[in-house]
Amino acid sequence: MALRLRDAEPPTPSLPDLPAPWPAAAAPRRRPFRDNSRLILSGILLLVGALATLLTIANRSAAYSPDFLVEVVLYALSVADVTMLAALVFVLARNIVKLIVERRRALPFARFRAKLVAVLLGMTLIPSVLVLIVGSEVIRTSADRWFNAPMDEVLSSANRIASDYYRDRQKLVTDHAQRIARMLPAELTGASVPMTSRVRDVIAPEVTLERLQMVAVYGVHRGAEGALQVVPVIDVASPNLPAGYSRAAADRLAERTASGGAEQRALETLAGGGELMRAAAPVIGSDGRTVGVVVATGLLSGDLAERSRRMTRAYEDYMQLRVLKQPLTGAYLSFFLMLTLMIMVGATWIGLYFAKRITRPVQMLSAAAREIGAGHLDRRLEPETADEFGSLVEAFNSMAGELAASRQKLEQSTYDLQRKHLEVEGRRRYIETVLERIATGVISVDAAGLVTTINASAARLLGLDPYATGRPAHDVLARRDLAPLLDLLHKVLRGRAEPPAQEIALMRDDREVHLAAVASALHGESGAEEGAVLVFDDVTPLIRSQKVAAWREVARRLAHEIKNPLTPIQLSAERLRRHFGAAAPATQALVAECTSTIVAEVDSLKGLVDEFSQFARMPAPRAVPTDLHVLLDDTLTLYNGLFSHLRIDPRYDPALPLVRVDPDQIKRVLVNLIDNAIEATSRSGTITIETQHDPSNNLARLVLADNGPGIPPADRDKLFMPYYSTKKRGSGLGLAIVRRIVAEHGGTIEVGENTPTGARFTIELPC
Amino acid sequence: MRRIPLLLLLAGLVSLAAAPQAAQPAGTESIRVMPLPRDGQVYVSFELAGGVTEELRETIRSGLQTSFAYDFELRRGVPLWVDRTIAIATVVATVQFDNLTRRHQMSRLIDGRVEDALVTENQAEVDHWLTKFDRVPLFRTTELEPNAEYYVRVRARARPRSTWSLLPWDRTGAWGHARFTFLP
Repeated sequence: MALRLRDAEPPTPSLPDLPAPWPAAAAPRRRPFRDNSRLILSGILLLVGALATLLTIANRSAAYSPDFLVEVVLYALSVADVTMLAALVFVLARNIVKLIVERRRALPFARFRAKLVAVLLGMTLIPSVLVLIVGSEVIRTSADRWFNAPMDEVLSSANRIASDYYRDRQKLVTDHAQRIARMLPAELTGASVPMTSRVRDVIAPEVTLERLQMVAVYGVHRGAEGALQVVPVIDVASPNLPAGYSRAAADRLAERTASGGAEQRALETLAGGGELMRAAAPVIGSDGRTVGVVVATGLLSGDLAERSRRMTRAYEDYMQLRVLKQPLTGAYLSFFLMLTLMIMVGATWIGLYFAKRITRPVQMLSAAAREIGAGHLDRRLEPETADEFGSLVEAFNSMAGELAASRQKLEQSTYDLQRKHLEVEGRRRYIETVLERIATGVISVDAAGLVTTINASAARLLGLDPYATGRPAHDVLARRDLAPLLDLLHKVLRGRAEPPAQEIALMRDDREVHLAAVASALHGESGAEEGAVLVFDDVTPLIRSQKVAAWREVARRLAHEIKNPLTPIQLSAERLRRHFGAAAPATQALVAECTSTIVAEVDSLKGLVDEFSQFARMPAPRAVPTDLHVLLDDTLTLYNGLFSHLRIDPRYDPALPLVRVDPDQIKRVLVNLIDNAIEATSRSGTITIETQHDPSNNLARLVLADNGPGIPPADRDKLFMPYYSTKKRGSGLGLAIVRRIVAEHGGTIEVGENTPTGARFTIELPC
Repeated sequence: MRRIPLLLLLAGLVSLAAAPQAAQPAGTESIRVMPLPRDGQVYVSFELAGGVTEELRETIRSGLQTSFAYDFELRRGVPLWVDRTIAIATVVATVQFDNLTRRHQMSRLIDGRVEDALVTENQAEVDHWLTKFDRVPLFRTTELEPNAEYYVRVRARARPRSTWSLLPWDRTGAWGHARFTFLP
C-alpha cells in the first residue's frame, strides 16, 4: 500500500527582507594645514626670511645708535624671545597635556606616541639648551674680552694726547685774545686817531707773526634802552686762512661774550678740512664796562684735526661700546636665544608633527580595525600620503571591502539557508501533521534498526508507546502478535527485495484487528540504505464489510434458492393432508401430524428466508429529523406490562437535538437491542437506555445497557457478524442487520462491558 | 575651538607689548615735584635726586648723547575708577661730551621744542642741568576745574640704558608725584 502525500505545497513561512547593503561611510575630513605641503613650505620660507632679516640686523647692530639699539632692536628681540618662549611653552604644554589625557583614556597608541614625542623632544631640547648655555657663555666671555686694560690704556692715552693738544691750542688762542683785549681799551675809546687804524695796528702783528689766523674786533654799544649792540670794528685775517669759514660764528661768539656769557670759545669745522679755534675776550673800558670784544681765531690744520678727531672717535667708540656692553651683549644673547627658541619651536613642532604623522595612520588603522571587528564593515580610511602608510591604508580598505563582500555573501547564504530551513521545517511539520492525522500507521527504522518514527495511528493500532523512538525495533515490536511486522522489517533491512503487502491479524482490546502492512527500504541521496519504513492500514472494517457483503450475497442466493421450493413443499403437504382426510383414523392422525410438522417447518423456513431476504436487500434509510426521545418512548410502549420483573430505565439528555434518521429502521434497531437485553437479563433485571449529546463531535449517542451476564470479549467482535448468535434460536442476523442500519445512517455501534455487570451497546449517530 | 589658544597667545603678546605702558613704578620715589599753578600755567619745579650715577657719568664721558626724559602727567583722581589724565608733557635734558674739547653740549626740550642750550666743562653744571628744573611751564590751567584737586605724576628715564633684561619692558626709572588744588 503506497502512502501518498497531498500534492499541495506546504505553506512557506515568510522571511524578513534581506538587509540592504550598508552604504559606504563618508571619508574623514583632512587636516588642511598639517598635511598641506605648500603651506608648510611657505612657512619654512617665511622662517628662513625672518632669520635672514634678523641676521642682517644683528650684523649691523654695532652701527645703530644706542637709543635705537636699546629701545628698538633690543626691545624687539626681547619681545620676540618672550613670544617664542611662550610659543614653545604653549606647544610643549599643549602636547604634553594632550599626551597625558590620551594615556589616561588609554587611547590606542597613546603610550607609543608619548615615547616617540619624549624621544624627539629630548633629542631637540637637550642639545638646544646645551647649545644655548654654551653659546651664551661664549658670547659673554667674548664680550668681556673685547675690553681689556691695554686697550683701555692705549685709547685713553691717545684721546688724552689729542684733547690735551686741543686744550693747549685753545688756551693759546684764548691767551692771545685776552692779551689783545687788554691792549685795546684805549684804542676803542680814544678819539685822537681813527679807531680802526689804531686797532689794526694792534692786531695786525698777531696775524703777521702767525700767532693767530684771524683777529676780529667788535665794538660794544649800548642802545637807548640798554640793549647791547655788538658792531664789528675790524678784522685782520691771514692770507693762509682757508676759505669757507663763517663770520657769523665769530659774530655770535662776540655777542655772547659781550652779554657776559660764560662760554667764550668756539670751534668751527671747515668744509675743506681743519678746524678754527676761536676765543673771545671782552675789552673792558676804564669804567669797567665792556666796550668791545676781541675774537681770536687759530687754525688747526686738516691733518692734525683729522687725526685728533680720529683718535678721539676711536676712544669714544671704544668707551661707548664699553658703556653699551650689556645692551650689545644682550642683543647678541637675545638674538642667539631667539634663534635657539625658533629652532626649538620648529624642531618641537616638526617632531610632534612627525610623531603624529607616524602614529596617526596607525591609530586610524587600529580604530578602524576595532570598528570592523565590531561589525561596521563599511568603515574606510582615506590614504593621506602616497608612501608605505598610504599603501597600508589601501590594503586595509581592500581587506575591509572583501570582508564586507564576504559578509554580504554570508548573510545571503544565511538567508537562503534560513529560507530553506523554514521550507524544510514547514514540510516536516506538514509531514508530521499528515503522519499524525492519517489513519495509516507508519513506523520507520534507521539502518541500525532503531525506531525513528511511530505515528499516532501506529501506536494506537498496535498498542505501542508513541515515545518509543530511539529504541530497537525488535524491542518495540517484541510482542508475539507483532512478529509478522518485525519479520517484514527485518526482510527489508537485510536488503532483500521488498516483500509484498501482507495481511496480519492482531487482537487489540479483545477485538480482532486486521492490518494490511507493507515495508519499504529507505535510501539516501547516494543510494545507500538508510533504514526501512513499515506502513499498515486497519482493514478490519473492509474485511468486515467484505464478509458482510459475502454473507449478504449468500443470504440473497439462499433466500432465492430456498424460498422457491418451500411453497410447493407446503402445498404438497397440505394436499397430502387433504388426500388422506378420508383414510383410516390412524393413518389420518399420522398424516396430519406429519403434514403439520412439514407446514410448521416450512413456515419457519419461510421466516428464516424472509430474514435472509431482508438482510440481503436492506432498503436505503429515509432519514427525517426525528426526536429520538419520542422514538424511544414509542418503542418502549411496546414493552409496557409485558415483563413484570424487568425494569427499563430511560435517561434522556434534554439537550439532544433532532437527528436525521429513518424512524422505522431505528425503531427496528431499538427493538432488536431491547429484545437481546431482555433475553440477556432473563426477563428480570434492569435495562438502561440513555441518550447523550456530544456537541464537539456533533454526535447523538444512544447507550443501551443491561445488567445481564455480559458478552465475553472473544464474542464481542463476532457479535455483529451474520449467522453468529449466542442464543439457541434465531437466525443470527439481528445484530448484523442492526449494524448495517446504523452504518447506513452514518453512525457506529460498539459493544462493551457494563458496570458492574452486563453488556453495553453504544450507538453514535451524526446530528 | 582651536582658535582660542591662538587668541590667548595673541592676547598675551598684546599685553606684553603694552606692558611698558601699564608698568607701575618700580622702587621708591626719587623725584621731588612742586607744581605751582599761576598766571594761566602750571609751573612745575622738580629735582631728581641722585639721578646722575657713576654709570651715567661714564656714559656721558664716552661721548654718547645722554638724556633724561621726564614724562609728566596732569591727572585727576576719580573715586572707584581709573584716574583721568588731563594733560601730558615731556621735558628732555640732553648732554653730549666732546672728548676732544672736553666740553659738554647741553640742551633742554619741552615737548620737542628747544628751550635752552649751554656748553660747559663743569661736571657739576652738567649734573644740575640734567636733574634740576625750576618753574618749567608745562600745562595750561584752562582745562582745570577751579577748587578741584589734581596731581602731577612724573617719571624720569635715562637714555641710553646701559643695562639689559630679557623682559622687554623698561622697569627702570624714577617716579615722583605731587598734589595741588587749583585755585583760580
